[in-house]
Parts: sequence; structure tokens; C-alpha cells
Amino acid sequence: MNRKKLFLTLIFILCPIFLLAQGLINSKHNLSVSGQSLAKSGGESDMCRFCHTTHISRPKPAQWRRNDTGQNYILYNSSTIQALPGQPTGSSLLCLSCHDGTIALSSSETSLAANSLSMMRNKANLTTDLSDDHPISFTYNSTLALRNTELTDPAFLPHSIELENQKVQCTSCHDPHNQTYDYFLSVSYQYSELCIQCHQMDNWNFSAHKISNATWKGFGRSPWFHTPYKTVEENGCENCHNPHGAESHDRLLNFIREEDNCLICHNGSVASTDIRAMQNKPFAHNVYTYNQIHDPAEENIVRIKHVECSDCHNPHSSKKLRTRPPLAEGSIKDVKGVDTNGNPVEKIRFQYELCYRCHSESAVKPGSPTSRQIEQSNVRLEFDLGNPSYHPIEGSGKNTNVPSLILPRTESSIIYCTNCHSSDGVRSPAGPHGSIYPHILKFRYETTDFTPESYQSYELCYQCHNRGIILNSMETYSQKIHRKHIVDENTPCNVCHDPHGISSAQGNALNHSYLINFDIRVVSEDPVTGKLEFNTLGKFTGSCYLRCHGKNHSPETY
Amino acid sequence: MMKQLFSLVTIAVVFVFMGTSFGQTPGTGITGSDHDFSSSGWSGGEICIVCHTPHHADNTVSDAPLWNHEVTTATFTPYSSSTLNATVGQPDGVSKLCLSCHDGTVAIDNFGGTTNGSNMINGNELIGTDLSDDHPVSFTYDATLASADGGVYDPTTANSGLGSTIDSDMLTDNKLQCSSCHDVHNGPGAADKLLVMSNANSALCLTCHNK
Repeated sequence: MNRKKLFLTLIFILCPIFLLAQGLINSKHNLSVSGQSLAKSGGESDMCRFCHTTHISRPKPAQWRRNDTGQNYILYNSSTIQALPGQPTGSSLLCLSCHDGTIALSSSETSLAANSLSMMRNKANLTTDLSDDHPISFTYNSTLALRNTELTDPAFLPHSIELENQKVQCTSCHDPHNQTYDYFLSVSYQYSELCIQCHQMDNWNFSAHKISNATWKGFGRSPWFHTPYKTVEENGCENCHNPHGAESHDRLLNFIREEDNCLICHNGSVASTDIRAMQNKPFAHNVYTYNQIHDPAEENIVRIKHVECSDCHNPHSSKKLRTRPPLAEGSIKDVKGVDTNGNPVEKIRFQYELCYRCHSESAVKPGSPTSRQIEQSNVRLEFDLGNPSYHPIEGSGKNTNVPSLILPRTESSIIYCTNCHSSDGVRSPAGPHGSIYPHILKFRYETTDFTPESYQSYELCYQCHNRGIILNSMETYSQKIHRKHIVDENTPCNVCHDPHGISSAQGNALNHSYLINFDIRVVSEDPVTGKLEFNTLGKFTGSCYLRCHGKNHSPETY
Repeated sequence: MMKQLFSLVTIAVVFVFMGTSFGQTPGTGITGSDHDFSSSGWSGGEICIVCHTPHHADNTVSDAPLWNHEVTTATFTPYSSSTLNATVGQPDGVSKLCLSCHDGTVAIDNFGGTTNGSNMINGNELIGTDLSDDHPVSFTYDATLASADGGVYDPTTANSGLGSTIDSDMLTDNKLQCSSCHDVHNGPGAADKLLVMSNANSALCLTCHNK
């Protein structure tokens, strides 16, 4: 046999050993002398023995060589968890005998001191605080899947996701012998393939965070610091969540400040719109103001004043989908709300149901900005369809004759809260994130008495109500009422009209049709009759008892 | 170039198969091995007789090769694990014969009808009757198991590294036994701890385990 033949024969003999053991040999778990990583033995060639022994193992299962860590671990917990994680058991305990950082890699039953390997370092060291790691050692059975309906019934889990005596262990996600996927994952985490085997979030498959191929434009901080992936869809769950070493422990979010998880992308660096910029405006639902108050398990009616992105948005369901009022748009899909009767709803149907979480029964709702004859800060009561008048949020309005309406709006139209309340600016993202105008109004809406009339002063109203018809038409209501007061007397719309509506519990159709509810900072009682009152007398006619700008109406009729 | 490569490979192979000796020379036969008790007074200077006899052999254990040693009657605690696909019962066949010394319930010198021996096994060689901390034995390892487990090779097709398949070279009646890993007679090819092959680079483990 010549040397070449001998060489080939040797290769042939050795090949099966190496080829068959590709998984472990080339992985970081090969701590033997043939290992590729920094942590490896100086002389030991048997890679199994760092963890396993064939005889007298401890603890007994899995032919284990390493010592029990004996540690008491801090466990994962959250206000929404249904599972009951206990102290690590089974194979998780075995993994932790290196990965909790308390025992040196070389510390095994048989001394490998000559090949001494140090403690686990960096990200692989989970420490004994497991509260920032995905929970383990809890029973995952059909009962759990029934309690948390966003979990797959374990009977339908693929073979690659192994449960140990019905329990999730480290080995459910990791295959310590196979580094085909990063971090020895059982399934690739690209597109969150691994996570979605168990976590079946409602409507996730259609959500923007699942399907967007947006990339990071390179400014600010990269949102994808713990994956190699470069698009929103590839990062999936890990856009926001970090299964190990999460900064925000409960729910394993990337960052401790709630809004940072969202605004790292929604600042124009990944998402096309810059919500972060809206937060800096003087009137905003400013999510930076509150920390650690929001809780996903909180009641529908908000008890402690706060606002976070996730109060209005469900990142698992949120998507680009425009709808018609009053239906909730895709961006606020699957969020909590309060319905027209004040009852909690787990998933809103209508946009106003979301606003009612804070602006109806909540004790921490903002007060009414204008002092009026009839005071009401519960907007749910202001928009009720049984009211004498209201802006058409829940349904079509009461007034069947509104000549100023600009098409396509008609008397039967319904509008969104966000038609008036949203970020100012033509190119601003939709929604009431932040505005330069008070009450997060989309356009200027002057309420100060003696404001000279201009299109700009009442730009908000003039979006739907034609300025020309209101001020210059030949109708009585224009010449005798609106022009006279708004232009000649410089009286704002807001002095006579209450833009939300007048609750039927407080007002009636005779005195409070057409959103009439006087601003009592400007309008006072008529000293002659002692009355402060509007009476409708039918189409475009009515009479007022009041005193305003030094003039008594005792009454004035039109 | 080929010559240099050849030298490198040769050196590598020498390193790979270089074992450490513990009082016996691997692969040199039973004489002088840890199973050679001929120097002990109780053996009568013989080697084979401690386990075998040409006549009047004990055949209570099926397939026992002309057995001459007292057989253990202990009840064992078998290995178990939530991820184990194999069915492991009480040790049988060859494994039961091995345990007739190594479980520590029967004296090593209880052979040929003697039952009052006093030399009990000890140290690392004492396995005991609790087998839950030992690699499982006496279970059927066939293509069905390989398919169900997914982590071990099909023994009917996988190369044992000993000339043929795992089933042919390492199993007895399709079962894994002590003799699958250990060559009790320290035959040619035997390595440290009477292993049937060297476990350098975990070669023995990886013969079956697809890791």
C-alpha cells in the first residue's frame, strides 16, 4: 500500500466519527481539546465527559457528571403569567450547573483540573437571577393552554420542541448537542419561528410587526442588538422581547422604560413616521411622563393616571388598516376599552371605546377646559346618542339640517375622536400623539374671548363647517347669528357651543340642541329676567336670555 | 505536499489513539488484565474458571456462556428519564452476568458452587443495584427505537467502527448490554477500562449517539 492509499484509508476510517459528530464537535459545547471556542480543555479529547458519565452519575438522570448547583434562583414572574414556574428542575438544573456562573466549567465529578476551564462569562452566564429570562420548569399542558389562549396546545407542538414530563425546560428551546442554529436553538429564531411554536398571539400573523420588511436607517441606536437580523419581520418577537437578560424583567422587554421598546423604531429610524417627535410637543399623550405604572393586567377603566404606547396599541395585532368611523382602525386593533354603556370590553370594536378608558368613568380623567352652564367631563355621557345634541362620534347627529357641512360629510356622517384630536401638521402620523394646540387638537381652535375671526383662528371647525356658508350666506343663522357674534363681536365658537355634547341627564332638547351650552366665563345671567337660557324655536330660529359683552338679551330672538 | 499531509495525519492518529494505561495493557488479551484473577489465592491460579466451566454450566441466564459464577438475584433500579424512548427493564443476558460481581451482592470468589466467598467488589468497579445513575442496559436498540428517539443511529445500518454495523458488532439479540461498550476479555482492539474501542474524541459514545 503506498502512502496515498494509506492516507485515503485513514481518512475513510476517521471520517465517520467526525462527520457523524458534526453537531457537537463544531459547537461551543465541545469543550474538549478539539473544540473551536475559547473555552476548551488543554488535553481532554472526550467531549461527552464534560457533562456526562456512563456510570455513577449525579444527579441521576441523563448520565450527568456535573454537580448540582444547590442554588436558590430568583424566578421569572409577571402580572399576566398563567404558568407557575418553580425552582429549576430536570435538565434545566443541569444546564445551570455551568450557565448560572457559580460553578467552573471544569468542575465535574472527575477532576479535570489539569484542563481547568473558568466560569461562564458574558451573555451565557444567566446568573442565579432568572427573573430576566424566559421562565422554565413549569408545567405546560392543555389546561395551561386553555387558561392562556395565546399558547399552542402542547399536544400540537412539533417534535423539535421537547417538553420534559410536561414541563418547559431549557431543552425545549435549546438542543445542547446541536448548534445548527445560533445559541443551540431547536428551531431558528429568524421570523421568530421558535417562539411561535408555543406563542400564538391573536392576529399576529397579520400584524405590521410580523410582516413589515422595514430596515433600520442607521441613525439612533440599532433596535436589533441581540439578533443578526435586519428587518422587522425577521426579528419578529425580538423587535421588543429578549428571552434572556431582558432589561425589563416581566414580559422580557428589551428596555425598562416602556416607551423605549416602541420608540427606538417609531422615531423614523425604522418606522416611516416619527412618533417620538410628537412626544416633544407641548400638548401630548406624553408617554415619557409615566414609568412603571402601566400594567397589561390593569382594569379597563384606568385607575392611576398614566399613558403608555401599549395603552392604545397592541403590538401583536397592530397593523395598517383604515376603516370607517366609528370602527377601530388597524393601529388600535385588539386593545381594551369601555363601551357606550360604560362596560369593559376586552377588544374594542369602535375607536371611541378606547378613548373612554381614560376619558369617561376614570377618576383621573382630565377636567372640562371650559366652565359652562352644564359641566361634564365624562365624554361618554357627552356623546351618548340619547343626548339633545352631540358631535357624531357614536352615531349620526341629532341635527338633520346643517347647511355648513362640507361634502362628503352630511348630517348622517359619523366622525372619529381623532378627526379633531390628533397630532397637528400635514405630515404628522395619525392619532392623538402630540400637538402644538391644547387638548391635542389637530388644528387651531381659539377659545379666548375677543379673538378676531380668521380662517386660522377656527381652522379646526372650518375643516367640516364651510366658513363661507357660516359667515356669509343669506340664511338667518349666518347673518343674524354667526357673523354677528363671531366676526362683529369677536366671540369664539366655543362660547356658545360645547363641542362634545350635552348629556341627557343634565340638558334637554329645548335648551341644549345644536350643542348650545354657554361658556359662563363670557356669558352670564340676564339681569332683567334672571335667566341664562337658550330656547330653540325650530329651524334656524330661537331666543336667548343672557348677558354678554355688556349687552342684555331679555330675550333676543332670531 | 502529500507527504507532509500524511505525516500530519499520522501524528494526529497517534495522538488520537494514544491511551493511558491503568495496570493492564489494553487489547492484549485477558492474561494480565483486570479480569485475570490467577494471582489471587482463591482462584487456584486459573483465569477462566471464575466465570466459565466446560461442564455442568449454569444455564439459568439465557445465552450465558458456560456459566460458572453465582448469579445475582438482586432487584435493580433501572435507569429512567423523561426523554428516554427505550424501554429499560431488569438487567438480563450478559449484563446480568457482569452484575453478578459488579452489583456488590455476590462475592467475586463465589464460583464453581462456592457460596461463601468473601471478596466483594469495591471502588469504582462497584456499580451496585441502583442502575439509575448508569447508562441503561438490557434494552432493545433497533431501527424503531432509532426512529422514535431521533438522537441515535439506526443500529442495523450504522457503522460500528468495528467492522460491521452496530447491531452486528455491539448488540446481543438486538439488545444493548454491558458488552456493547466493554470487552470483558480485553481482546484485540480493547481500550482503557476494557472498552471495545477507544473513547478518544468521544468515538465510542458517538458510535450510537448522533450528537
